[in-house]
Amino acid sequence: MKLSLNWLKDYVDPRLSTDELVHRLTMAGLEVEAVESAGKDTVLELEITPNRPDCLNTIGLAREISAITAKNLKLPRIKTYRSSKTGGPTVSIEDKKDCPRYIATLIRNASILDSPGWLKERISAIGLKPLNNAVDITNFVLMELGQPLHAFDHDKLEGGRIIVRRSKAGEKITTLDGIERKLDPSVLVIADARKPVAIAGIMGGLGSQITSSTKNILLESAQFDMGLVRRASRMLGLKSDSSYRFERGVDLEGVLTGADRATDLLLELTRGTFENRTDINAARKTKHAAIDISLQDIEGLLGTKVSAAQVKNALARLGLSVAAGKKGRLKIAIPGFRGDLKQEVDIIEEVARTIGYDRLAVSFPHIQVANIAPDSRPRKAREAIAQALAAQGYCEAITYSLINQKDLDQCGFSGPAAALQNALSQEHNLLRPTLLPSLLQAALTNINRGQRDLKLFETGKRYSKDGKESWTLAVLAAGRAQQVGFHHVKGALEAAFRRLNADVVFEPGTYAGLDAAACANIKLSGRPIGAVGKVDRRVLTNWDIKTGEAYFAEVDLQAFGALPLETRKYGPVPEFPAIHRDVSIAVKNDVPYARIEALCRQQGGQMLQGMHLIEEYTGEKIQSGLRGLVFSLVYQSPTRTLREEEVNAAHQKVLQALTRDCGAILR
Amino acid sequence: MWNFTELQDNARRDIEPVSDKRALEDFRLKYLGKKGLVAEVFASLAAAAPSEKGAIGKGANDLRALVTTLLEQKQSALGDAGKPAGKAVDVTMPGIAAPQGHRHILTQTTEEICAVFEKLGFVLEEGPEIETEFHNFTGLNIPIDHPSRDAFDTFYLKDSKLLLRSHTSPGQVRVMKAHKPPMAVIIPGRVYRPDAVDASHSFMFHQVEGLLVDKDVKFSDLKGLLTEFCRRFFGPSVKMRFRPHYFPFTEPSAEVDISADIFKGTGRKAWLEILGCGMVNPRVFEAVGYPPGKYTGLAFGMGVERMAMLKYGIKDIRLFYENDIRFLRQF
Repeated sequence: MKLSLNWLKDYVDPRLSTDELVHRLTMAGLEVEAVESAGKDTVLELEITPNRPDCLNTIGLAREISAITAKNLKLPRIKTYRSSKTGGPTVSIEDKKDCPRYIATLIRNASILDSPGWLKERISAIGLKPLNNAVDITNFVLMELGQPLHAFDHDKLEGGRIIVRRSKAGEKITTLDGIERKLDPSVLVIADARKPVAIAGIMGGLGSQITSSTKNILLESAQFDMGLVRRASRMLGLKSDSSYRFERGVDLEGVLTGADRATDLLLELTRGTFENRTDINAARKTKHAAIDISLQDIEGLLGTKVSAAQVKNALARLGLSVAAGKKGRLKIAIPGFRGDLKQEVDIIEEVARTIGYDRLAVSFPHIQVANIAPDSRPRKAREAIAQALAAQGYCEAITYSLINQKDLDQCGFSGPAAALQNALSQEHNLLRPTLLPSLLQAALTNINRGQRDLKLFETGKRYSKDGKESWTLAVLAAGRAQQVGFHHVKGALEAAFRRLNADVVFEPGTYAGLDAAACANIKLSGRPIGAVGKVDRRVLTNWDIKTGEAYFAEVDLQAFGALPLETRKYGPVPEFPAIHRDVSIAVKNDVPYARIEALCRQQGGQMLQGMHLIEEYTGEKIQSGLRGLVFSLVYQSPTRTLREEEVNAAHQKVLQALTRDCGAILR
Repeated sequence: MWNFTELQDNARRDIEPVSDKRALEDFRLKYLGKKGLVAEVFASLAAAAPSEKGAIGKGANDLRALVTTLLEQKQSALGDAGKPAGKAVDVTMPGIAAPQGHRHILTQTTEEICAVFEKLGFVLEEGPEIETEFHNFTGLNIPIDHPSRDAFDTFYLKDSKLLLRSHTSPGQVRVMKAHKPPMAVIIPGRVYRPDAVDASHSFMFHQVEGLLVDKDVKFSDLKGLLTEFCRRFFGPSVKMRFRPHYFPFTEPSAEVDISADIFKGTGRKAWLEILGCGMVNPRVFEAVGYPPGKYTGLAFGMGVERMAMLKYGIKDIRLFYENDIRFLRQF
């Protein structure tokens, strides 16, 4: 909303510098976004919140300024014009819910001319283009009082009549901006005997507009249903100063004031004569809402002392009338233009606003121990896993939850995904059912910028087709083959799971987008929760990641949220020395490490306290079909120092079993 | 009478800057030389009153002992200095550190915001991102076909009545439906709005919502609580102002602007809006089924990206979601 300060002074003189006025308005909830100087005038651009349609005009703002500066408001003197029961313009309204009030005023023998200088100056200051006296008057009154008006060339209305009705399917209208628009029954129109001549509350039709040859003017001042105007405006993609105000709410009484003010000016400037007027008012008598409130209510909610005089003065300047109610309470009558004031708290805000929030008291709340004990395990589990991964050198990514079908296709993901009805673009129209494309995209961005050897993770949501969402961990390591590998990612996951003391196992398996040759399914307490593996070469090619390798893991985090918070128990720190024996063997490629470890532990018995892999090697120094493994066995007793001979005996037993049961060649 | 405390302090001060043998000798002479201070004190014994002699004698002895100790310490320090004991190390070479991972700055900022409130007694709750119209709008007094919805433009799911929450406020409705006051909750999470992406807009971003409901919560409490938050988050010198605003789910409503030293010289405006807040609208209590007039509450909501951008001087919101590791590693 634009406010001309010269125009403002017709109604109130704040006697403040522009800076001070801007500050006061902003601190009263009428935020000034810009100040422009226009010749001798200064124009403020205000952001008016949607609850305050009454501030979308100069007098409305003058009223606010009068309240916050305690200066008197002077309103223009407006003559009244009578409507006649019969003989006025013929107006029929199909459904009064759509149009609660319609005033049609007929003015004859008007001269359509250029507007006088003062009028041009007023409306052009706030960015409206002067056209002719009749149209300029409707714009002037709109911006003065907030009542949208429309002037028709009466002689162009077929049958000389006005019908307010829903559009018929297939009807069209060319609006004042010269564009032909297709209408449907969701749109309310003003029609003459044959066709729509205006889209109600939004824009008039080109065919019935005022031109220099217009003689007789039919002035429309009406109220249309706010939801109806809003829907039609959105459907047609057409907004105007009128629709902006109608969809926020126009005062039913202002319909008459606006008609009278415009009639006054039309008679004066076009030298026409008032013929007659039709006023169809569904409400007939306007009821003013009243709110009953006590000073204690106000002080109680604000935590600040206020005086009765303070409250009364501030509210009166805002146009509210304050009367004494029962038991020292206040009875506040709400004028029609303040439809936003419905409850006690609305009045309290008006009091707070006019005092100034900065002048209200400050206290610290008494925060009681809440009787809510949310299950903190899921968040703690997520947090522990994320911290463990960061400690392993992984950087946390936050990626868009919205992806597209191509992303999924390129990942070899064939499952369904929930789609958006009103996506902004085809690029982000699906809710991701997997985080693989998100992290590949992040990797690609980095690779394209010359970064390599990336370790990324994200804890975010993935979504099912039916709108279920679940917390998911995704890990991606990408880069040169010697820097990233399956066991790096597995190791990072193991470190993370260890923090939760979770019973997690990795078993050979398959997963969308991962190469089955290097893929493990992950199970928590026997239940599958995800997978880790090498990203399929084809997937990388699809993503334009040309060099290096990538390893990815995706894990359902919901499952960890159900684990007990702490299951770790103290075990005594060993008092007696450990004896290490390193073992180097060659075994067939198809003998899994897990089998070797199980055998060692079984044969080593209680004395064998630990087994650590030192390295795996394949290559020229070893027969093909075999791989070399070097690991360390740790013998230790909690109660005594082990003797050399007994460790040797136990170790021999392990070595023999490895040769016998795993076909291991000792090296 | 001598002030022995002062004499001892002087000795300690005098030894401090001594860095070579010559200065050390000067120090020795000043205190222990023939015409030194200790000698002077002893000499004064002769003329002293009998009642003072004991104290002067003890003072002189103590001073001599102190100076001797100081001399010995300094002597050994000077003696060893500059004598390498092993292989020389190039201390200017970079230190060795284990590779570090980093939490995303948005996670860190969310955590920092939540931690302030959790320390004050708030509990953390989380709500779903896929929401119903009731939780996102109706329960929050945001009517259908009303311009107040413009501020909360929303993504809807295809073939469904569900939507992606456009703010974290539906979390308020959920918490209140599930529990009776008193309550103090903080609700962080991702939110979505169909805004085209540019330097300051994103269709996905993060918010933190707060809610405190009890029998006698006041607007002054809202001011006090958020003032405390801003001081802890932006530093004690932050300046704030509460400015009236409109939110359908609070009345009175306010926006909070801050002005802080950390923005000086950044070319930013004097006042920057950081959060929206207000007293819970009785319509919201009605929607969640609380008895009328029984409770009052305060609520607030802030954008995590905005807070992080202000605090760390990040100029483009897209940086958060690109995940360039050179960005991630800065925090």
